Amino acid sequence: MSSVPHDQVAGHGVTEPHGHDEHAHHPTGIMRWITTTNHKDIGTLYLWFSMTMFFVGGIMALTIRAELFHPGLQIVDPEFFNGLTTLHGLVMIFGALMPGAVGFANWMIPMQIGAPDMAFARMNNWSFWLLPFAAVLLVSSMFMPGGPPGTGWTIYPPLSVENGMGMDLTIFAIHIMGASSIMGSINIITTILNLRAPGMTLMKMPLFCWAWLITAYLLIAVMPVLAGAVTMLLTDRHFGTSFFNAAGGGDPVLFQHIFWFFGHPEVYIIVLPAFGIISEIIPTFSRKPLFGYASMVYALSAIAILSFIVWAHHMFTTGLPSASILFYMYATMLIAVPTGVKVFNWLATMWKGSISLEAPMLFALGFLFLFTLGGFTGLVLAIQPIDVQFQDTYYVVAHFHYVMVAGTLFAFFGGTYYWLPKWTGHMYDEKLADWHFWGSFIFFNVAFFPMHFLGLAGMPRRIPDYAQQFTDWNMVSTVGAFGFGLSQLIFLYVVIKTIRGGEKAPAKPWDGGMTLEWTLPSPAPYHTFEHPPTVK
Amino acid sequence: MDRNVRAANRRTGLILLSIVLVFFVGAFAARMFGSPGVSIAVLGGAVVLFLVLAIGRNLRR
Repeated sequence: MSSVPHDQVAGHGVTEPHGHDEHAHHPTGIMRWITTTNHKDIGTLYLWFSMTMFFVGGIMALTIRAELFHPGLQIVDPEFFNGLTTLHGLVMIFGALMPGAVGFANWMIPMQIGAPDMAFARMNNWSFWLLPFAAVLLVSSMFMPGGPPGTGWTIYPPLSVENGMGMDLTIFAIHIMGASSIMGSINIITTILNLRAPGMTLMKMPLFCWAWLITAYLLIAVMPVLAGAVTMLLTDRHFGTSFFNAAGGGDPVLFQHIFWFFGHPEVYIIVLPAFGIISEIIPTFSRKPLFGYASMVYALSAIAILSFIVWAHHMFTTGLPSASILFYMYATMLIAVPTGVKVFNWLATMWKGSISLEAPMLFALGFLFLFTLGGFTGLVLAIQPIDVQFQDTYYVVAHFHYVMVAGTLFAFFGGTYYWLPKWTGHMYDEKLADWHFWGSFIFFNVAFFPMHFLGLAGMPRRIPDYAQQFTDWNMVSTVGAFGFGLSQLIFLYVVIKTIRGGEKAPAKPWDGGMTLEWTLPSPAPYHTFEHPPTVK
Repeated sequence: MDRNVRAANRRTGLILLSIVLVFFVGAFAARMFGSPGVSIAVLGGAVVLFLVLAIGRNLRR
């Protein structure tokens, strides 16, 4: 079973320091946010930070798309364009998606497992407050002598060894964000393993917590590897070493191995929490328990394990031996099996369910459809002879945006609408949220589907200019991108409007909600589950 | 929070931190082994083993 029906929960979660939780002792004003060790406050900080970076990265994306509206150079010079593609990737991955997922984890994991807070509350504060400094370093690399790093988010040497000072800031930013992620992961694993309510065995845990437990293990394993890689890059740049510098006997391809040992699991680090959110939303709005809970857990674990042995499919054009190519090709295809199990189980959960289509469910269905499309193009790219043709074309750009945006981001939107009543105590505006969904869904496809055609026709990525024959689809794509960007303003408006007021949310606004957070009043009190509930 | 729980949290946190350090150093070791494929496969194997052990230990609780 994936969830705990309320009649199987003894005790209640609200801490009542004599019935006046709203007066719980904590600083007010700005100091509340700087010094807070409360998981809900820190979750809120992470989510706002993520949204801010989402808009920063979004503006970079729109600049890129504006430049690509026409062939020829019109808005930015080529070096700055390359810097924008680098920073757009880094900002979205390290600034928007990962902190967004950690925001959900901070808010929901303690409430879903019946814990009073995260295991290391002070470290939790520290891991958030590192992020704004890292973000400033990263974005300010745009204004350094030599311009922003023009390497792409993969920061491959030798270009990254030769880039200007902006690369140093990027490397430091990656170090700091990595440290933040590692601290966050240690906190999440320790919280889940040690602070679950009595009776909540691992196999009774909500799937969102399972997804995060596995994600945190992935982070623990791969973030230090990235940190090692960029440290070596830094010493190559400034201390005369030659880890990756071929002129000094180094091996630039080694960087690619190390980077993708981090980079491929990173895809799952971003998408597994999204799987967790979807696994909460679909049963709730289908009013049925999740189909095949145990198989979902095993599928998550299988995806995580396989993600470690497929990294070189990103390197099919680097001259790998044939045996390696075959191994990485088939291992990559194997990931479709556990992923297929998950998609099948989500569909089976909806089968004969009493489905209603509120915004969280709309986003979950959008996720299901579009993520599956992104998965299919991933399978196409796994086939080495095809990948050689598509390497560094817009086909790849289309593929990973279907996974990252329509996959992860749609799940985050769905999760926000799903838990917003619990966070704010108010119901969101359903009509506007529906507009947000349809705007995002339609314009996302207008923006990114044509990129498949551009890639198939051979248009290279990370190039500010292109041949005349690619013009039409680029124009369509740019119109879609601006439509998608504008749709996100609706999201911002709905969130702010919900925080400021609206219809009062009951403790359990969704009929089908079966996890512990729905036993708490809305908004969730500042302190919850100080006396853990007993799960029978 | 109960003192035993705090101690358990500290133990878990330190174990996880030690794994972080092993992987950080492992990235440098990959350069020294000469063959990136072998060295990273060893690291990958360690991750898999760690995942299986760490989750497996807690599965029946």
